[in-house]
Amino acid sequence: MAGTKNHDYHILPPDIVPLATTLGALMFTTGMVLFMHDAPGGTFVPWMGLALLIASMWTWFSKIVHEARAGDHTPVVQLHQRYGMILFIASEVMFFVGWFWAFFDFSLFPSTLTDVVGGQWPPKAIEAVMDPFALPLLNTLILLTSGTTVTWAHHSLIHGDRDGLKKGLMATIALGVLFSLIQGYEYWHAPFEFGKNTYGSAFYMATGFHGFHVIVGTIFLAVCLVRSYQGDFTPRQHFGFEAAAWYWHFVDVVWLFLFVAVYVWGGWGYPTH
Amino acid sequence: MATTADHFHGNAADHGHDHAHDHPGFFARWFMSTNHKDIGTMYLIFAIFAGIIGGAFSGMMRAELAEPGIQYLDTFAKWFGATNPDFTTTLHTWNVLITAHGLIMVFFMVMPAMIGGFGNWFVPIMIGAPDMAFPRMNNISFWLTVAGFISLMCSAFVPGGTGLGAGTGWTVYAPLSTYGSPGMAVDFGIFALHLAGAGSIMGAINFITTIFNMRAPGMTLHKMPLFVWSVLVTAFLLLLSLPVLAAAITMLLTDRNFGTTFFDPAGGGDPVLYQHLFWFFGHPEVYIMILPGFGIISQIISTFSKKPVFGYLGMAYAMVAIGVVGFIVWAHHMYSTGLSVDVKMYFTAATMIIAVPTGVKIFSWIATMWGGSLEFKSPLVWAIGFIFLFTVGGVTGVVLANGGIDDALHDTYYVVAHFHYVLSLGAVTALFAGFYYWFPKMSGRMHSEFLANLHFAIFFVGVNMIFFPMHFLGADGMPRRIPDYPEAYTYWNHFATVGYMVMAASLVVWLANIVYAFVAGRQAEDNYWGEGATTLEWTLSSPPPFHQFETLPVIAETAHP
Amino acid sequence: MKPTPGVGMPVDGGLTFQHQYSPLGEYALKIYNWALMPIITVICLFVLALLIWVVVRYNHRANPVASKTSHNTTIEIVWTVLPVLILVAIAFPSIDLIAKQYKPAPKEALTIKVTGNQWFWTYGYPDNGDFEVVSMMLNVPGQPEVNPGTREVGTKPWDGPSHLEVDNRLVVPAGEPIRLQITAADVIHSFAVPSLWFKLDAVPGRINEKVLFVEKPGVYYGQCSELCGAKHGFMPIALEALPRDKYDQWVLTHPGGVIDGKDAAEAAAAPAATPAVATVPVDSPLAASTGAAE
Ligand code: HEA
Ligand code: HEA
Ligand code: CUA
Ligand SMILES: [Cu+2]
Repeated sequence: MAGTKNHDYHILPPDIVPLATTLGALMFTTGMVLFMHDAPGGTFVPWMGLALLIASMWTWFSKIVHEARAGDHTPVVQLHQRYGMILFIASEVMFFVGWFWAFFDFSLFPSTLTDVVGGQWPPKAIEAVMDPFALPLLNTLILLTSGTTVTWAHHSLIHGDRDGLKKGLMATIALGVLFSLIQGYEYWHAPFEFGKNTYGSAFYMATGFHGFHVIVGTIFLAVCLVRSYQGDFTPRQHFGFEAAAWYWHFVDVVWLFLFVAVYVWGGWGYPTH
Repeated sequence: MATTADHFHGNAADHGHDHAHDHPGFFARWFMSTNHKDIGTMYLIFAIFAGIIGGAFSGMMRAELAEPGIQYLDTFAKWFGATNPDFTTTLHTWNVLITAHGLIMVFFMVMPAMIGGFGNWFVPIMIGAPDMAFPRMNNISFWLTVAGFISLMCSAFVPGGTGLGAGTGWTVYAPLSTYGSPGMAVDFGIFALHLAGAGSIMGAINFITTIFNMRAPGMTLHKMPLFVWSVLVTAFLLLLSLPVLAAAITMLLTDRNFGTTFFDPAGGGDPVLYQHLFWFFGHPEVYIMILPGFGIISQIISTFSKKPVFGYLGMAYAMVAIGVVGFIVWAHHMYSTGLSVDVKMYFTAATMIIAVPTGVKIFSWIATMWGGSLEFKSPLVWAIGFIFLFTVGGVTGVVLANGGIDDALHDTYYVVAHFHYVLSLGAVTALFAGFYYWFPKMSGRMHSEFLANLHFAIFFVGVNMIFFPMHFLGADGMPRRIPDYPEAYTYWNHFATVGYMVMAASLVVWLANIVYAFVAGRQAEDNYWGEGATTLEWTLSSPPPFHQFETLPVIAETAHP
Repeated sequence: MKPTPGVGMPVDGGLTFQHQYSPLGEYALKIYNWALMPIITVICLFVLALLIWVVVRYNHRANPVASKTSHNTTIEIVWTVLPVLILVAIAFPSIDLIAKQYKPAPKEALTIKVTGNQWFWTYGYPDNGDFEVVSMMLNVPGQPEVNPGTREVGTKPWDGPSHLEVDNRLVVPAGEPIRLQITAADVIHSFAVPSLWFKLDAVPGRINEKVLFVEKPGVYYGQCSELCGAKHGFMPIALEALPRDKYDQWVLTHPGGVIDGKDAAEAAAAPAATPAVATVPVDSPLAASTGAAE
């Protein structure tokens, strides 16, 4: 039985994609350095890196999909993927901990030595903040609704209702896109600038990284939608879908924290516009 | 451990029967690898390469510090590409050296060797798994580490403010690293950490999943070898601490390039915030560097005592305790930043607690040897050296833990002495112990025991000569990160530099030993350490087949680990 | 004032802490010498002794058959509890020391402002007319020029050790608590004087405060203790403590210097309007005043 696999684990053949992905990442970071310092190549190297990065990731994830179709994802391999996704989300949570840490440092202990801040939160330099109960509240509702639509999709999938799956996904994606559009509109009309002071920095970087995650999650769901049209996912095996749903819920929860802390508490009683 | 060869019902007879597709060509094997042993080998080679570079940087540093005054720095500045360096540029080179040295040793030597190298090689084997859970992701973890290293190297040759290269210290404190260092160098450094960090996070996910899901039948958590436990705890530390560093250095990046003011007081930002974020990562990081070492030492002590590890459960949960408490002590690096009195008292008390589980480990190792039948093979010699040297480094940590005492010692050579005792004498000694323990298993060739012991003897003398006097210098007030110093510090600095040369000689012995092994070393048997070596790697051939455990081993019930 | 060799500065080949000249420094050093140092030494020797014992007693020749003991609850409890007790014992004086270090200065205490700059210190005296002293490292004989224009160490009789002496020292009164307010103008620096057990970071955007108490007149040296860029190793601190009356005299030699609101030396009134002395030509009597007060 030598050389014959007698277990359910997934032993992979050699693959160039990890190295290609790395090259893409390195080219992207190097290009960004050039870009940030207006150096030659700064305008195209990051794009080339990004293109290579995305192409490699596309290839990589396609392979996973093909392997799933080929039956490589035995129950234990699916379990790996669950663990992997949960752990990945845990690391993402810690990433946001960093941004919230900065936000609470600035809002609970505003600097007294700089006129820009003047010992208050929001800082003196901020004339008005966003009204949390206008568009941000709407966005909260949108994301909460999208959490239910993705669950609708999941239930439909489990009960063999392909049509419900697609509709649920489409609704979720639409809500995600709507959220991003509203967020973009808010950024455009915000009464304060990016950077410049602690408010602009903490606000835009925290909500911006959240927004980035919304976009990634939306793409993830869109891939699931395409795959469900291609006939992927069975009521018993559909981890790709579940991972997207988990991720979406995570993005949702981060938003709730952002909404309560940054929008509501962080601007309480301050003029809005 | 419970998993003795007698209890093992695997496919040990399959040695050498590999499938055709298991012999990929050179490029496919090394650039496209999805094999945990090959990836582990690449990590080890990379770590050795980085260790030699980082060690060479420290040699340049010791040369400059041998005498007061500036001797060689302008030459070094020219090596990095500066033409006609003025005095400021010359001095900047010092900061570049220490920054590169610290970052290389931490991120590109110890971490890749411990986790990427030995972890990759032996975690799957020790739990009876054929490979890691995510073999392809394993590969990108490695390559991202290399990419990070390349990015870091790039930073040395581009402007970093007052000269070429990033001169911020490995801690990259703002605002020296933001508006204090214009130029590309620090950005390259930041991205180096992003890349290596992403690789490490993926590695952590991989290890946790592997350990939780791929244990062979009968291999319960409480039967896992302690090395596997150590990697498991380490992986959790990585998973939860690195993202915070990622956020912190992203803030540096946007402060530097996009006008945010996280750490810029002009916009209300707070430089001390950076330190909180950094050390929230940084303190767990120091345990990331030592825990796998603890695991290696446990395997070795047990093997050569021909006894199971004493107090196995206590040993495992001591590491868990170190990991957990390690997350709530970070501000002991910040005692002089102006913390409030309660905060300082809390961190003093919390930090000292870590001595307790660490003590459990030290004493359990000794208790393992107690009553044993010690075989003084080179790994055991290194391991005993480790226990002593780590204790010395650990107890000076307890001194530093006292906030009121640290006021005198913070940012002096006393701290440098402390952390080199736990790192350069602790972690590196554990690495060499593991190296001699497993080298024949990995390569199939026996090294020379004589050379290995000679390496130890010279290394032990050398590193103690380098770092013990640093306690004196620090107590006497010599600050860290200075290329030149008041004459009073000459004696011990000179002494340390002499120690460096002794230590360097030992590394030559080590390299000679590797060459010897490949040229003239005996073929290694399956279990060349004999009866005490009971974990699963000793049931395989040396080197193990390309894919081990194609039929999973079954670990028998035993009364107790 | 001429520094006393070996006082307030590192000593050749020194093995331990500098002699302390502040009450808290003495207390801290006592804790180190009588608690920490003995404890850690004993622990290291104890571990070493155990290691030697097992090596001698349990090598395979002395003990051919290994025992199988892998548990002993009693001993495990002992080696957990004993370190806890040791640490608790250390914690008492240690926490007490911190509490004392944080005792604020009395209201009437003199306030002095310390500002770290790349790469020199400025010292402000808000209670004495708010004049400012700029303190630069003196050039070291035979080494590249650190600060253009400042003379070399050893060319004036009151000069201290090379790398540590400055052109204008931080002058303070001895024997009374002083409120030091520390900040920075650019990046983080750290104000440290080992022989006073004093170290506090100078952080831009923050004012850190701590009590300084120098027991007796003398010159005490330190160095910037937070990496602050290229010349981090070249921004020493020289602190000169004078008896109160000498300190008052010193203040009055500064343009704008006042004692108790009195700008006493009317004679030197000429440039009184300018509150701060930014840079004083090194050989002027003012620059030398730190020495003249001897
Ligand atoms: C492998 C890495 C490693 C390890 C394991 C440790 C372990 C410890 N470290 Fe260390 N440390 C570093 C790496 C490490 N450190 C680094 C790199 C820095 C500097 C970073 C920088 O600024 O660049 C640093 C700095 C540092 C500081 C900040 C100093 C300063 O900048 O002012 C402090 C302060 O509390 C500290 C404390 C400790 C303590 C209490 C432990 C404890 O875990 C030690 C516990 C071990 C023992 C105590 C010995 C064994 C125990 C017994 C035999 C039991 C009996 C003992 C007693 C009862 C005391 N360390
Ligand atoms: C793991 C970490 C590590 C290691 C091993 C070392 C090793 C050494 N370091 Fe250290 N050092 C740091 C981490 C480390 N260092 C850090 C974090 C700093 C602070 C930087 C800062 O201030 O920002 C520092 C700072 C530092 C300073 C202070 C600089 C200053 O403050 O101005 C000095 C001064 O002498 C010094 C010297 C040395 C020397 C002589 C060695 C020698 O021991 C080196 C000899 C080399 C080796 C012993 C390694 C050999 C290993 C291999 C070749 C790989 C083996 C691999 C396998 C077996 C798989 N180092
Ligand atoms: Cu100023 Cu270091
Ligand atoms: Cu620490």
